[in-house]
Amino acid sequence: MNARIKYSVLLIGVGIILAFLPFNASLSFRLKPSELLAKLVADESYFSVDQVARFLNNEDSTGQLIDVRSTGQFKECNIPGSINIPFSDFTNPLWEGYLNQKEMKNIYYGNDGQTASYAWAIATGLGYGNNFVMKGGLNEWFKTVMLSQFSGEKITPLENARFENRLNARKVFTQVNSLPDSLKTKYFNAKRLIESKLDGGCE
Amino acid sequence: MNQIKSLTIVVLILVALLILVIVRSSDKNLFKKEVRTAIEATQNNSNTISLDQLKKQTRSWIVVNLGSEDLPDFLHSENSIHLPVENILDQTNRKILGEAKGDLILYSNDEAMAAKTWVILNQLGFENVFILNTGSNPEVLKYKFQPDTTARLEQDSM
Repeated sequence: MNARIKYSVLLIGVGIILAFLPFNASLSFRLKPSELLAKLVADESYFSVDQVARFLNNEDSTGQLIDVRSTGQFKECNIPGSINIPFSDFTNPLWEGYLNQKEMKNIYYGNDGQTASYAWAIATGLGYGNNFVMKGGLNEWFKTVMLSQFSGEKITPLENARFENRLNARKVFTQVNSLPDSLKTKYFNAKRLIESKLDGGCE
Repeated sequence: MNQIKSLTIVVLILVALLILVIVRSSDKNLFKKEVRTAIEATQNNSNTISLDQLKKQTRSWIVVNLGSEDLPDFLHSENSIHLPVENILDQTNRKILGEAKGDLILYSNDEAMAAKTWVILNQLGFENVFILNTGSNPEVLKYKFQPDTTARLEQDSM
């Protein structure tokens, strides 16, 4: 029997095996269950609202805030600079470029902690790196940052720094969310321009 | 006969391939479900259950305590098991979850932990797994943003 027939039989056999395999064109987790559980238990996947406030005040580009709420809720108010990837649309290939990258930390937030935690588990399970959750979500943000007040006679330098950080973040949050959508980008450009002037930079 | 003999190597390759495929598809240590199923199951909080709903539920259920602490008093019942989250995928615990009759109700005082564990169990193919919400719906914004009506671009004021 010549080689051509052998190869033909081999190819037909492989074809038959492939034909009976369950074809799964959809996304499924790449990590093993034990690997995902280890990441879950490690408890290193959280950012506090104070840390996020610092990101906002410093316009830190090492982190990317991802709002997983619906578009309607996002439009009502959001943490300035965040992008909206509704959880219901999380697996849309359109978002893969944002989610599956190694340059920035993805910090997920929702109204509380539940939806952002689903997003964390799915992104991590899919093998995307750098996933974090803003602990407590927007409810914690409002409670700690937006409504923070200092009561007392003395303030330590540490408390003062924390309070100032919250105050600045609150200011940016209120200003940006009070603007119409069309002016939000303009706000950040204007802010950068002012900062560059203060730093002695060129216009 | 000679022709069949000369095909032995080809047949062996095919059998080896078939064994590899069978081993892979029957490996219990892999996620097999589509991610989309988890997202769909969370829509409208249909994967969560409140304490009131649990009390009224006629189907059988079992509370799975994922935390290290004891269950709160209002949850103490014979229908509960303590499976710390770090050990939830141990063979024995997986067997317990698989053989449990009725709904599996995940409880943790850390809601994020319960949510992440729910995703793992869902993707492993466990059916009828719910998260117990002991308070109000956690995914509702409890605060109303008050816009600053005087807000304008700083650039405009310069």
